[in-house]
Amino acid sequence: MSEALKEIDPVTLEIVRGKLLAGVDEMGIVIARTSMSPVIYEVLDFACGILDTKAQLIAQTNGITLFTGTFSFQLRAILKKFGDEMRPGDVFMINDPFEGGTHTCDVALIRPLFNGPELRAFAIAVAHWSEVGGSVAGSIAPNATEIYQEGIRFPGIRICRDDELIQDVVDIIRENVRLPTMCLGDLNAELAAVRIAEVRFQEIEQKYGFETVERSFDYILTTSEQLSRKAVAAMPDGVYRAKDLIDGDGISEEQIPVCVEVRIEGERMTFDFTGTSGQRPGPINCAYGALHSAVKTVFKSLVDPQGASNEGWFRPVEIICPDGTVFTAQKPSPTGWYYEGSAHASELVWKALAEIVPDRFSAGSYMSLCGAYVYGKDPKSGEIFVHIEPAVGGWGATATRDGTGALIATTDGDTYNYSVELFEAKFPLYVRQYSLNTGEGVGAGRYRGGFGAVREFEILADEAFTYASFGRTSEPPWGLKGGGTGSCNFMEIESGEDVQRVARIPYHALKQGDRVRVVTGGGGGYGEAFERPPEEVLADLRNDYITPETARAQYGVALKADGAIDKAATDSLRAARS
Amino acid sequence: MGRLASDIGGTFTDLVYFDDQSGELKVEKSLTTPKDLTRGVEDTIRLAEIDGKNIDFFVHGGTTVINAITERKGAKTALVTTAGFRDVLEIARGNRPDLYNLNFEKPEPFVPRRLRFEVRERMDALGNEVEPLVLADLDAVVTRCRDENVEAVAIQLLHSYAAPAHEAACAEYLRDKLPGVAVTASFEITREWREYERANTAVLNAYVQPIVQRYFESLEASLRNQGLDCPFAAMQSNGGSTSFAWAKAHPITLVESGPSAGVNGAALVAELCGEKDAVYLDIGGTTAKCSVIEGGQVKVTTDYKLEWSRINPGYPVKVPVVDIVEIGTGGGSIAWFDRVGTLKVGPVSAGSDPGPASYGQGGTEPTVTDAKLLTGVLDPEYFAGGRIQLDVAAATKAMQKIADGLGCGAEEAAVAVIRLADADMINALKLVSIQRGHDPRDFVLIVGGGGGAMHAATLGRELGVREIIIPLYPGYFSAWGMLATEPRRDFVQTALGRADDMAAAGLSELFAGLREEAEEYFGAQDEVEADQLHFEFGIDLRYLGQEHWVTVPAALEGLSVERILHDFHIAHERAYTFRLDDTPVEFVNFRLTATARVPRPEVKPLRAEGCSEAAATKGTRSVHYGEDGRHEARIFDRDLLPPGFEAQGPMIVEEPSANIIIHPGQRLHVDELGFLHISTDN
Repeated sequence: MSEALKEIDPVTLEIVRGKLLAGVDEMGIVIARTSMSPVIYEVLDFACGILDTKAQLIAQTNGITLFTGTFSFQLRAILKKFGDEMRPGDVFMINDPFEGGTHTCDVALIRPLFNGPELRAFAIAVAHWSEVGGSVAGSIAPNATEIYQEGIRFPGIRICRDDELIQDVVDIIRENVRLPTMCLGDLNAELAAVRIAEVRFQEIEQKYGFETVERSFDYILTTSEQLSRKAVAAMPDGVYRAKDLIDGDGISEEQIPVCVEVRIEGERMTFDFTGTSGQRPGPINCAYGALHSAVKTVFKSLVDPQGASNEGWFRPVEIICPDGTVFTAQKPSPTGWYYEGSAHASELVWKALAEIVPDRFSAGSYMSLCGAYVYGKDPKSGEIFVHIEPAVGGWGATATRDGTGALIATTDGDTYNYSVELFEAKFPLYVRQYSLNTGEGVGAGRYRGGFGAVREFEILADEAFTYASFGRTSEPPWGLKGGGTGSCNFMEIESGEDVQRVARIPYHALKQGDRVRVVTGGGGGYGEAFERPPEEVLADLRNDYITPETARAQYGVALKADGAIDKAATDSLRAARS
Repeated sequence: MGRLASDIGGTFTDLVYFDDQSGELKVEKSLTTPKDLTRGVEDTIRLAEIDGKNIDFFVHGGTTVINAITERKGAKTALVTTAGFRDVLEIARGNRPDLYNLNFEKPEPFVPRRLRFEVRERMDALGNEVEPLVLADLDAVVTRCRDENVEAVAIQLLHSYAAPAHEAACAEYLRDKLPGVAVTASFEITREWREYERANTAVLNAYVQPIVQRYFESLEASLRNQGLDCPFAAMQSNGGSTSFAWAKAHPITLVESGPSAGVNGAALVAELCGEKDAVYLDIGGTTAKCSVIEGGQVKVTTDYKLEWSRINPGYPVKVPVVDIVEIGTGGGSIAWFDRVGTLKVGPVSAGSDPGPASYGQGGTEPTVTDAKLLTGVLDPEYFAGGRIQLDVAAATKAMQKIADGLGCGAEEAAVAVIRLADADMINALKLVSIQRGHDPRDFVLIVGGGGGAMHAATLGRELGVREIIIPLYPGYFSAWGMLATEPRRDFVQTALGRADDMAAAGLSELFAGLREEAEEYFGAQDEVEADQLHFEFGIDLRYLGQEHWVTVPAALEGLSVERILHDFHIAHERAYTFRLDDTPVEFVNFRLTATARVPRPEVKPLRAEGCSEAAATKGTRSVHYGEDGRHEARIFDRDLLPPGFEAQGPMIVEEPSANIIIHPGQRLHVDELGFLHISTDN
């Protein structure tokens, strides 16, 4: 390379950054393509990353946002335990929520990347296994009271030595999970991902030398940090607060008050959750790794949604929350449905800041993934089936447009719903309806919220079981600037004449012909409803998004007999209300 | 007699004429005429002075379909779905790929809710009727469509991939009641499962159908006027062609006809050079596209998504499309600094208007093309064969912004811009090759498009391919690729089943069904004889529980489940590093690629008269080779290089439609056909 070029080192560093990102992307491709679990390949419930030897996240690819802040904690736990005795060909495994993890289903594999005897970096892959044992199939009982009911816990163990799986550990896994083929398939997929990371890393090092690679680590972190600080500095200093209620923990329906105080001081931002309720008996709790992910997700959306994630972005961030709250639960609290809890931490931050960054945030959304497990025996194959699907729902309106309908919640990301055709081919379930939830409506406003969805299916198996945990079932999505609140999520089970509406149910037997309806809410509105132009209200009517009654009652729009807007009547309705 | 290929691109309409007797090629370009695209085609035929009577094959590709969609200028379209599923198009897959964007907007459906109708009926996953079709429900639909002046209707009913009877009945009913309205039933376009994807495919077909019909009718009239009375073929997205008649009813299959022609051309180049495996690269003004040719075959998938990006879910279209990876870096890509001073290239492009600063049409932003000029790769006096004078001062001035930011001179800044652009392209090339389990050392890199030739040697060296091949007329490569196209149709049928329940007889039966369909399809095309048909069968398989599959070729003779499974385990291990011998295997899709082996043009050896090293030598110039530094490069005129010519870089080979760089340490060889081969010394 010529002398002149050596001086333009930022270009080389930028090229190396691109290669590292391509490397983690490739890890993600490998996992998504080789995994055995629908929750991984359809829901993309996984993430991959490369970290430096100080456990700083350098590059990450995410299918969902829930792993935005967990990797560093998990690697530190592994380093603490194995720091001095790591060897090439080692792979470690960890899924402990109290060591930076999320819930037991999310199993992370960490591979130290060596060049000869020299430790260079770490590759990590985490994915949601469909099953890790415990009291129920799928491993997240909504009424668990201890983590021991949530399956097998790997506190940070060695799973490979000299690139060979340690058979004793594999045998333990095989005998402690309900779907061993699937689990071991996922383990294989993750192994392939961290292995490809090492190959790519070595190629980069060979071409550019480790000195350049190491400098690129610093460059990646520093440039992101600078962007982040600038973005924070551009926001008005101040103290912003928000409160919310979590609708029950799975054991009781009692609402759980949570709160945040966000302090912006120059280039720094502090998120203080002091005052949030204590940890709960039920599995709505999350531990600090999940709390960090929740806050960092929203912070990232504030400072630069499209930039590749790494530790640098989060250097201006401080997160404060005393131990033992519902967001910082301690061992042996159950954390199976942690994302239903941590989603609230995200929304609190979002709500606190929504008014100062109207171009980035909308009004409140349906928020909860409304996960329902359905499992039983497939009459055709005689095998056990387990179905779990996060539901799409309505998002809030923004300062410039209506909310987006039928979209996956903040906690997930490039997550696909289940195709009805695929769903019916795979499970003894028959879908009767999958449509927008116009019945329960959305938050009205100058801009209205987006619509939730209704998925109704019938049980074809002789018998089946369901358990579920739905949030936002009594505390609806919030509106902004005078916009109306959205509608609530719920699950309905229809058995003959009997119809029950449920939120978080531990275990419920279903029989053939029973119908399950997963109904998600509509998002909150933005601005005053009677400022919505009557033509837009009429368009909603023509599209059957709303009824004439809604047009009149919520928007003050009256119609003539031919369906056109009755201007005089509309004016007087609106005048009477303002 | 001769063959004519016409390709309408964003900026130019290209024409390539091949004389079957002499083997001579004639090329012509004229500006694309967006208001009436047929005029550009007429212009090129006139400019090339071709007598329509002498043409016995005409093939056409273009951007009518994709433009109508991206500009949202299609027909007013309605959708009929199974009762309970009216919102399939709007719910879509619910994914949020831009995952940290909490202000995310979904792509808007092409049919508004008021034009989405339901009909009572139901099939199950096995193809059994669960609820009968209530055709009377369509009467209200007919009335609404008339009232709203709907021009096209798509129909998508659940499980129609397995049991199309209800869809077919609806289509017949609506065609009868709504004469003049374009009706598309999803099964007529795709037989794969997933209702949203199929609905979107049917909707987009319906959406463009009236426009494409009018366009092809006017093109036909224009061609007949110019004396052409041969069969007309339309280039499809799968690398093959079809008749105008079929294209008019299935226009969505033309969506990527231009790029697919390029990949098809690359497959021909590979074949002519005796190569089986190749990576194809085409660098245009705003994007670069790459694709892999494996075992001589163009790779075709049905996973295509329109307007997809890392942050946009796009619109899935389940038609066979050549597997192309596209990245937002091309010759017109603009270099810029982000908020903290990091140099970036693209995705914003200067396009063709105003174009790079050096075009002198008012562009002031530094682009990759400007960087190529400032490093000496381009000759300001000989761009587009000397037709465009490049403005070095304007390019220098634009590049100075980058130089100031980096604290260096304009030339060094240009080198930096090229290195970054190359790095983006390398990542894309690796995505289609290494990341899909291929070893680049087994591959050659084939370049199409004028822009590709300027980057090929650098990219090929870093990728580690054995050889880089620059075919004739890289600037006309899509049209050239069309000349060699064969009539082709791909059939895909989802039929889920476990290996344990499969028997060779069942497989044969499925394939026989597909083959029958293919024979029926080609039977309706006059210019194809039954004995020309060639069939390739394949099966998509996966381990039980997996989502993604691996396609395994299947031969009808000696077809056995064991054989298929044996091949599957090997293919899976190759693609994904592991195999699971004890895990049950699932059959997912059955595929048939049917082509008609019609006579193809015979590419003749290059004529050597007047060609010699001396004649081709244009002198030397100083060229900056990026990481290799500055060198005095020999400059050659490609048209005068003799076959068999060999030389060592550094050098530049110029032709009107492309400039080809050869690094120090690289060797050039000109073969008998006039293709350039560049290899890197070890």
